[in-house]
Amino acid sequence: MSYNLSVILPEIVISVYVMGALLVAVYTGKDKLGPALVWITSALLAICGLWVAFSTGETHIAFGGMIIDDAFARFAKAVTLFSAAAILLMSEGYMARRGLLRFEYPLLVALASVGMMVMVSAGDLMALYMGLELQSLSVYVIAALRRDSIRSTEAGLKYFVLGSLSSGLLLYGASLTYGFAGTTLFPGIIEAAGAGRIPLGLLFGLVFVAAGMAFKISAAPFHMWTPDVYEGSPTPVTAFFATAPKVAATAMIARVLFDAFGGVVADWQQILAFLSVVSMFLGGIAAIGQRNIKRLMAYSSIAHMGYALMGLAAGTPFGVQSMLVYMVIYVVMNVGTFAFILTMERAGTPVTDIRALNMYSRAEPLRALAMLVLLFSLAGVPPLVGFFAKFYVLSAAVQAGLGWLAVLGVIAAVINAFYYIRIVYYMYFGEEGEGLETQGSPVLWGFLMVSAAAMVLGVVNLFGIEAMAEAAAASLVL
Amino acid sequence: MSLFLIVALPFIGALVPGLMIQAGRRACALATLSVTALAFIGLMTHVPAVLRGEVVQARVEWLPALGLDANFFLDGLGLLFAGLILGIGLLIIIYARYYLSREDPMGQFYAYLLLFQGAMVGIVLSDNILLLLVFWELTSLSSFLLIGYWKHLPEGRQGARMALAVTGGGGLAMIAGMLILGEIAGSYDLTVILQNREAIQSSELYMPALILILLGAFTKSAQFPFHFWLPHAMAAPTPVSAYLHSATMVKAGLFLMARMWPVLAGTDAWFYIVATTGLVTMVIAAVIALFKDDLKALLAFSTVSHLGLITMLLGLGTGMGAVAAVFHIINHATFKAALFMTAGIIDHETHTRDIKRLGGLRKLMPATFVIATITALSMAGIPLLNGFLSKEMMLYEASHTPWAGSYWVVPVLATVGALFSAAYSFRYIWHVFFGPVRKDYPSKPHDPGFGMLASPAFLSVLVVLIGIMPSLAEPLVRLTAAAVIGGELPEFHLQLWHGVNAALVMSIIAVVGGVILLALHRPLDRAWIAAPRPEAKIIFDAVVEGAASGSRWLTDRLHDGALTRYAAIFTVTVLALAVHAYLTGGISRPTRAMMPPGVVPTIGWAMLLIAAGCLVAFHRRRLVALVLMAIVGLVVSVGFVYLSAPDLALTQISVEVVTIILLLLALNFLPKTTPSESSVARRVRDGGIAVVAGLGAGALIYALLVRDFAFPTISEYHLANSYKGGGGTNVVNVILVDFRGFDTFGEIIVLGIAALVIYALTEALLSSPVRARLLAWTDESPDAGDAHPMMMVVVTRVMLPVVLMVGVYILLRGHNDPGGGFIAGLIVAIAVVMQYMASGFAWAEARQRYPYHGAIGAGVLIAGLTGIGAWFAGEPFLTSAYGYIHLPPIEEFEWATAMGFDLGVFLTVVGAVLLSLQSFSRIARRSGDRVSAHPMDIDPSREEC
Repeated sequence: MSYNLSVILPEIVISVYVMGALLVAVYTGKDKLGPALVWITSALLAICGLWVAFSTGETHIAFGGMIIDDAFARFAKAVTLFSAAAILLMSEGYMARRGLLRFEYPLLVALASVGMMVMVSAGDLMALYMGLELQSLSVYVIAALRRDSIRSTEAGLKYFVLGSLSSGLLLYGASLTYGFAGTTLFPGIIEAAGAGRIPLGLLFGLVFVAAGMAFKISAAPFHMWTPDVYEGSPTPVTAFFATAPKVAATAMIARVLFDAFGGVVADWQQILAFLSVVSMFLGGIAAIGQRNIKRLMAYSSIAHMGYALMGLAAGTPFGVQSMLVYMVIYVVMNVGTFAFILTMERAGTPVTDIRALNMYSRAEPLRALAMLVLLFSLAGVPPLVGFFAKFYVLSAAVQAGLGWLAVLGVIAAVINAFYYIRIVYYMYFGEEGEGLETQGSPVLWGFLMVSAAAMVLGVVNLFGIEAMAEAAAASLVL
Repeated sequence: MSLFLIVALPFIGALVPGLMIQAGRRACALATLSVTALAFIGLMTHVPAVLRGEVVQARVEWLPALGLDANFFLDGLGLLFAGLILGIGLLIIIYARYYLSREDPMGQFYAYLLLFQGAMVGIVLSDNILLLLVFWELTSLSSFLLIGYWKHLPEGRQGARMALAVTGGGGLAMIAGMLILGEIAGSYDLTVILQNREAIQSSELYMPALILILLGAFTKSAQFPFHFWLPHAMAAPTPVSAYLHSATMVKAGLFLMARMWPVLAGTDAWFYIVATTGLVTMVIAAVIALFKDDLKALLAFSTVSHLGLITMLLGLGTGMGAVAAVFHIINHATFKAALFMTAGIIDHETHTRDIKRLGGLRKLMPATFVIATITALSMAGIPLLNGFLSKEMMLYEASHTPWAGSYWVVPVLATVGALFSAAYSFRYIWHVFFGPVRKDYPSKPHDPGFGMLASPAFLSVLVVLIGIMPSLAEPLVRLTAAAVIGGELPEFHLQLWHGVNAALVMSIIAVVGGVILLALHRPLDRAWIAAPRPEAKIIFDAVVEGAASGSRWLTDRLHDGALTRYAAIFTVTVLALAVHAYLTGGISRPTRAMMPPGVVPTIGWAMLLIAAGCLVAFHRRRLVALVLMAIVGLVVSVGFVYLSAPDLALTQISVEVVTIILLLLALNFLPKTTPSESSVARRVRDGGIAVVAGLGAGALIYALLVRDFAFPTISEYHLANSYKGGGGTNVVNVILVDFRGFDTFGEIIVLGIAALVIYALTEALLSSPVRARLLAWTDESPDAGDAHPMMMVVVTRVMLPVVLMVGVYILLRGHNDPGGGFIAGLIVAIAVVMQYMASGFAWAEARQRYPYHGAIGAGVLIAGLTGIGAWFAGEPFLTSAYGYIHLPPIEEFEWATAMGFDLGVFLTVVGAVLLSLQSFSRIARRSGDRVSAHPMDIDPSREEC
């Protein structure tokens, strides 16, 4: 058996960097190194992202099939790394000003990124679990980063307890799968599962693994942690939760379902469709009543995960492609939106009440316009790029004969549009309020503007993401 | 000119006004005008081709994977609408140039207007329905910007919000309908879809598609019950109202219905939904319009009413209905745009739109009066004006249309609608222009300059021309109607006089009734104001507020922050999924018979159940809970013995002892009971969930156990290779130190880290503010009198060497018999822990020579070195080797490199357990644990009771 370490060289580089940086920081400046470490880590993640993105098109296998490095994995890895790098850059100013910038923060994000990279390229249930836990454990700590805040610690604790529950479930499912497939390698499982009816034990394994993974992307009804954690964590951390881990987790679900259970699509299609419908509707309905923009974004992300699952539920290569396109667009929109949310403050303290945005367009017309574009894009209003994202998954569902799912998706989109539009309404036509200071750093301004511009300019050809996603999907679904 | 260019021109042009504003308002308006004019001329170049019956096309691929292509086509219907949009656009641009005041940012206004214009042209020329959707939503967005243009007016904001919420939502619903339609037809191209009438109407998805598409059309065209947003959007500047709410945007819904007419119309569902909605809208809006005092509100409701009229005509599903609809679309666009502009002029000149404050303008504004009168009379349906012609056609169609078997419903309602329509048209003339000249106009009125009058004047000329010579419009109507119907046109001829027929009688009733209503307006108005009626704005606000509070109710129930609730939802969902899996999965027959349950296992099973049940019942008393947990652990250990796994049993029991002791220590610093937070109902609920989940898990395991494994178990491999490969007969131990040696190596490191973390945490704790609390700690209950009972002290001290010996023995025999480093480590640790417990921390600590960190470090190091040793033999890390040594005095015995590894495990376990214990004890001593220098003490301060 060849280990083929070169396949996981980016992961190794990041891990070694994290260990080294931890040691150096502990024995030297500690938290004083925070800002520098943020920039270095961000640069490293971005470079690794480029490295992964421009790797050759072949499929490499390492550790006897435990790690698969195909176009799909590279696509998901690149998106994950870029979004993690972006969020890190965005958080520097916010965290530093509030004394939250511990040197562990960027390193934990980097570790979580390594976990995510393993998750998306796992070819084996054990490797998958390892990646998942590395990511989860790092993320639990990040959630409770603001140790002296009860909300933050409570968020971290809740996330941890429920996360352990779901990890346990996933592990239970993995054991059942192993018990009935005789292997934890995906190719072995797909062989054991066969193409027809699968043994009951394997089916239970599939169900439990799917449920455990659904928790990670906060698909309803496994979403309960999301609003509390989004609200309780420091805003940059919330931004991180909303982006990179979601991409990695959806990619991981795709990987498991197609590589290990690809022969029995009918058995998981209904489960995914169910999760998708519940997520879309619950996210939409629950967000309507929210005044806290972080909680609102939590429900919004739940709804968006419902749409991503819709693409997967199609069970076709086009479905996977649509899911990947959806996730990329989702991440860009969220990066931009959170770049704005990070700037929301009044007299130095962060503001999260959406009513603070009343008549914001008068004070800051350009930023308001950028937010308008992003919010409409999040709502999926044509012709902004967000519409194409939704349209992709809807077509995938329709083509797979899930017309009812697509119709429900559109109805949910109407419900979801409502609360995004309400924010726009506040910004453009609200009543006179106390006003809001949104100075922020040039970095935040840049991210806001770039992602808003991408939402408009992307309509030309979606920046060619389609073709990349198609190649990625083709490498996953044989 | 290419169709692409026609659509693209306004979008490109939208950049121009913003850039030109520096060059002055005139240049800005001129630039906008020329862009629109250019597009208009471009459109006109296609007229000959369209007249020849050709369909002009322009196609280019955009996102082929989605079926979204930039395909455009131009037929009669598209030509009519594009002509209306661009033509009236030209007039509006001229009008707006003079209407907007100096303070209004004109560049922005024209930019929005052109954006909107481009989107509208895009809708009517799109061949691809997805492209159509894109433009459709773009009109919603740009209209949002236009309506909200005057930001200082609060109604403007409310209007913009409602407009966007309603039309945007409808548009999204339409996406679903279009998707279904495209799926049925197999293409998203309108030209293809329009050929598939049979396939679409016979599809079972026809109804959902119809309803969803109509939702989009009805919301856009403000049909009942979505009619409420249009009047509220009237706070926009008048040029916007005139353009969006009379001529173009609200007609997009009609356009869509006309466009889809060939494939959707003609069924009962279409008739009952569309015609009924149109009829109801026509009557209700006309009635409301009569009682509106705001000029623009009156016109807005009249627009809604006329849109209802056209909707009804389209809903009839007959060829003549479509012809009449097309004709009325043309007529309505001409007279209503002009009327809006006159309303704007009046507002502009008198600074009020309130009819109650107007009157007598006939003499002050004669030119406006003439235009307003002509167009309003046309709206009322007076002969010689174009409104009369199409209304006659409508009434004629209505007069012979049965509705659910009844022949009088449609004619009567249509007449009522026409009657009110006449009444409010007359009111517009009579109450504004007639009557005495007032003294109290907010501003002195006079006719505006030619610039503002030109556009409405031009339109009123059209009104008269078509009215007198309908044959002028006939080619256009034929062309458009042919495109709507998509087949043979019915025989018809547009003319002024059709003879005395039902329509004429109804029309006369309507006009006479209208005059009477106007005469009675004052008492009727009072009654109207007194009567309770639903106010759309209040309802909309209530719905919005209701949705928000409903949503908040849901989130308060669902996400109240209680972890127990989250866990309950989690468990129930997993259970449901498992049940689903059970029901859908294939269940094979059990392949193994159940073994007869013996007495011992039954007792053990019962004990487990009882202990678990008691644990739930008494979990709030922490000590009791701990004891019960110990029972569970013991039964499990015994279970291992019973199932012939002595090794596991040994491990389990040692782990149980150590954890219980450590937990006991930790319990010292916790309250004796946990807080009670849950109600009885919640406990019952949670109990139910827990029992069902437990039964489910049990059932699953039972189901798995009575079936054979899908493949041979891995036990055989280990049993076969344990001695051969690892040199040991204790398979568990060989697995630990050899087969899975690397895992074990990782585990002992984790164990060591855990102990160090406990140590670090207590250190941090003792240097934090918590220290003060610990120092001030007083126990709730008095200590036991003899903290270190003599019997225990003696026994533990005597036993210590014996236990240490046993530990070493177990370590050594581990490779072949039950035992091993892990168990030995635990046994030794227990022996030392017992010293701490019996004789006190101080006594034990005083006799401790080596720090426990050292033991951990040494253990990991030894294990690691053993592994590295394999490298020297050219083997991978941790490959074990073994052999036999014969020392003369003793018998032959085996050596194995695994021995060294086991020693490392042993040391780490001892160190880790004792380090954690020591850390806890440090807290205890801080908190005032009295340690006497002598063992076997009797506390002298103890009071006898």
